[in-house]
Amino acid sequence: MNKNETVERRYLPEISRKEIDELKNTVKVSSQKIIADNIERMKKADPHRPDAMKYFDDIANLFGRRQQEIQAEKEKGKKVIGYLCLFAPTELISAADAIPIRVNSGWYDTSKLGDRVVPVEVCPVIRSTIGAKMIELSPFLEQSDALISVLTCDGMTKLSEILSDQKTIWGMNVPRIKDSTQSLRFWSDEIRHMKTQIETFTGNKITRNSLKEAITVSHRATKVFRRLQELRKGNPVIMGRDAMLVNQAYTWDDKKRWTEKTEALCDELEKRVQQKDWVCNSDTPRVMLTGTPMFWPDSWKLPTLVEEGNPQGIIVADEQCSGERILSDPIGVDEWSMDDMLNAISERYLMASTCPCFTSKDGNEDRINWLLNKVKEWNVQGVIYYVIRGCMLYAMEYSRVKKALDKINVPVYYLDTEYTREDVGQLKTRVEAFMELLNARVDF
Amino acid sequence: MAGELIGSILSLIVLVGLGTAGVLTVLIWKKNRVARVTFLRFVIQAVGLAALFFLFSLEPSIPLLYVLITWFTVTLFLGRFFCGWICPFAFIMDIESLIRKTLKIRHRLLPDKLNIALHKGRYLILAVFLLLPLALWLLNPPPNTASAVMMAQLLAGPFRPYSIIIDPLIPFVVPWTGQLVLGSVNLSYPYIGNILTFVEATPGQIFAVVFVAVTLIGAFFVRRVWCRFCPAGASIAALNKFKAFKGVPLLYIEKDEEKCPKCGVCKRVCPVQVNDVYEQKGGKIGTSQCMLCARCVEMCPYEDTLKIKFGNKPVFKSRNWLESSIVNEERKIE
Amino acid sequence: MITIGMDLGTQKVKAVALKDGAVVGRGQSFAGFDPAQAAEHAVNDALNVAGLKLSDINHFTATGSAMDLAPHTNSTVSMMGADAKAGVFLIPQARTIIDVGAEEARAVKCDERGLMMEFVVNERCAAGAGAFIEAMARALEVNLEDMGPLSLQAERASPINASCVIFGESDVVSLIHRQESKPEIARAVFDAMADRVTSMVHRLGITPEVVLIGGVAKDPGFVASLNRKLGLMVQIPVYPDYVGALGAALTAAARAKGAFK
Repeated sequence: MNKNETVERRYLPEISRKEIDELKNTVKVSSQKIIADNIERMKKADPHRPDAMKYFDDIANLFGRRQQEIQAEKEKGKKVIGYLCLFAPTELISAADAIPIRVNSGWYDTSKLGDRVVPVEVCPVIRSTIGAKMIELSPFLEQSDALISVLTCDGMTKLSEILSDQKTIWGMNVPRIKDSTQSLRFWSDEIRHMKTQIETFTGNKITRNSLKEAITVSHRATKVFRRLQELRKGNPVIMGRDAMLVNQAYTWDDKKRWTEKTEALCDELEKRVQQKDWVCNSDTPRVMLTGTPMFWPDSWKLPTLVEEGNPQGIIVADEQCSGERILSDPIGVDEWSMDDMLNAISERYLMASTCPCFTSKDGNEDRINWLLNKVKEWNVQGVIYYVIRGCMLYAMEYSRVKKALDKINVPVYYLDTEYTREDVGQLKTRVEAFMELLNARVDF
Repeated sequence: MAGELIGSILSLIVLVGLGTAGVLTVLIWKKNRVARVTFLRFVIQAVGLAALFFLFSLEPSIPLLYVLITWFTVTLFLGRFFCGWICPFAFIMDIESLIRKTLKIRHRLLPDKLNIALHKGRYLILAVFLLLPLALWLLNPPPNTASAVMMAQLLAGPFRPYSIIIDPLIPFVVPWTGQLVLGSVNLSYPYIGNILTFVEATPGQIFAVVFVAVTLIGAFFVRRVWCRFCPAGASIAALNKFKAFKGVPLLYIEKDEEKCPKCGVCKRVCPVQVNDVYEQKGGKIGTSQCMLCARCVEMCPYEDTLKIKFGNKPVFKSRNWLESSIVNEERKIE
Repeated sequence: MITIGMDLGTQKVKAVALKDGAVVGRGQSFAGFDPAQAAEHAVNDALNVAGLKLSDINHFTATGSAMDLAPHTNSTVSMMGADAKAGVFLIPQARTIIDVGAEEARAVKCDERGLMMEFVVNERCAAGAGAFIEAMARALEVNLEDMGPLSLQAERASPINASCVIFGESDVVSLIHRQESKPEIARAVFDAMADRVTSMVHRLGITPEVVLIGGVAKDPGFVASLNRKLGLMVQIPVYPDYVGALGAALTAAARAKGAFK
């Protein structure tokens, strides 16, 4: 980092070291408190919480164990490659013996710092990430040697420019029309280019075997993720927040270890299913979250309101890039040749994604279909369409989603909020009214 | 004579038994979900090849017309299942692909436009080859002109117009006349008979060798290259498109639109580059390009999204293949 | 069976006493800094009117933004739920209920049983709510009660920005500077508010009958503007500001019977 400080900053303001340290300390302390508080509340909500969750509680501390582990690996000479969107091909990173890690920021406090660089109308995730960079708060963002930024929404596009002041940024240009041959060709060229870039940067060649190994690791993770998903289809056996944390931890945890621990969790949950040991009454409204990503720890605001509300709801599924979209699609390799593996990776990241940044001749129909499928498969009784102000793409897709869900008679509530804790009271009113609505539908 | 016939039938039975045993072995031992159907297909293709080999080596030989009629009847119900699962010519190509896969050599794709042009062009090829014998025959009419005999001569005569339709059925080595002789081996190869019938002896031999070489090399790099413009496939497709047979229960692929996030796997794994499974909105997949080889159904990672159905009954559904042993085995290794 | 419903709004606290399906007492007081105390007052008023004692009450249900602070409560119900219940109780054909209060406007779609089907709430700003009228009345230097009758005298409306109370106020000031007449400005204020409420209701879809409740429903100026903007006549119950409390009381009655959670 030191060598960059001499470089002229084009975007980020100059802040004195003293201010950085002070702010960083304040935010870090408050963040740790929030993390602890979130976990405490999750424990309280489910007094009989699975033992396997202990591991995830530990890994959830962003300033804890995982940070030290990555630091140790870095000292051994491993490179860390961060990414901002789920479109980054993490298998390529792993195959080049580097550590992939997602660096989007979920800190509310840093979004206020981001206001110094960009206007408040900008998506809070972007502002918060900028703020986190300004005060060097995010351990993973600081540790990453390079960042893969996928130009999905406008915010992400410009965020990569702003961060380029202090980081090596590799942009990946994602085509907005998903299902055309030329888009796929373009994107698979991007993936191949990224492969060369990663190879040059890390100095490790991505071989057929290392890539196969990386893909297999992902397959195993997807497999266990799907197992957890299956468990959430029936009577609730795990709190939604716990499952969300498990899903999200994948983006910063060691993948193999994550798989093992999640498997242990699934084993435990399967036992509970046999014992009919549910976390809440079976008539608790089953809620699905969709919309803007909710990043740990501060964005746990809404799930907490849902699951601790009066009346209470339970989150059984989500359709967010901070949640189930991380792992729901496996890489479908047909032949284990380098070429086909790369094609499979390109397709999995581009075509299987239901990000609203895409469109096609039918609009973003994939997302609608996927949502409807989830609603049916997971017996969802109500959908909360969560949008943080500034997220155009999700906000603009709402009307279509609502129409589609109205057709199958599933209520959906559009809930807009900000990266702020002050509106919890107001949100509570709305969430509880929605739960009441769902309950009333169940009763009659 | 009768002893030989009985002997052949016995070997046929033995072969079928072996094949069944093979299928069972595959089902029991091959837990790998992403390759199980492919292996099953190999077994069935091998059995089919052997069966056809025996069928064609029977003495006295079965009139090809019967074969033709049987084939068309089966086709009415199974559609291009024949192409995907039994056709010996396709079997050669699949074996080549298997070798290529093992060598980890990448396959090439035909440009979509060419693929579609070939797909449409196969009807033309079919028409030309069906009409050409008729034209030749008219130019040089046989002496006897009684109509029934004429018909028989047309069908069984040297030009054998139907052979264009059933030629892919010809196993590689059968004691047939008019085949390609390389060294002392009497090779049979699809369409060689026709080529040799139409073209003069020496150029015909050269042309035949070129044909064999091109199709063999082509099939090594492009999966199932011949199937894209196979006139035999076209005849099946045309038959199934015929309105009078619409009521017959058919084998077909069905897609559940809601469960499909359009990840594109089905499009990529298709050996004949059919886009329809990917592009169609859901419901019955109506394309005559698809050979029902079920590779897309096998590779689709979303449960129940793709199904092969016969009539209304699902025969095979896409599953979460991550449960396969390939994932588990490698875990053990670590 | 006697139940009490309390509506702890942002400005006023209302209480309704219900005896066997009939309203027997109403009471209200300003919320001020101590909503709990205010609720106590309102309940006492209602009890006095009805001639009942606190111990006669079978079930207390609270609603409103400060419902967690309410005294004696046995249960709570959301504002939207209460609105729907009471709206249909008072006007059985009601399917869309618009509640415009002091700080919040909301619309609820409900079915014939008084169950809410869907709801929308205005955005964080109070521009679509009663506080807007209050601020504008201040800017025009007229009494809040006079705003409505004043606006009805206007023949045309001048457009103002209603996305924000503060911007709206500066717009009003600029209209004053342009020497527009007070009735016209007053009408502009109501039109702007009605515009916001209308677009909110449109997100929900308008299903007749439309019922307007909440404190602002007592303002003839707003009602006239809303009717114009919606293109239909909204129905207004006799005590529009007590509807929330009545809904709570009805819910209390149902819960006391054990019919409704």
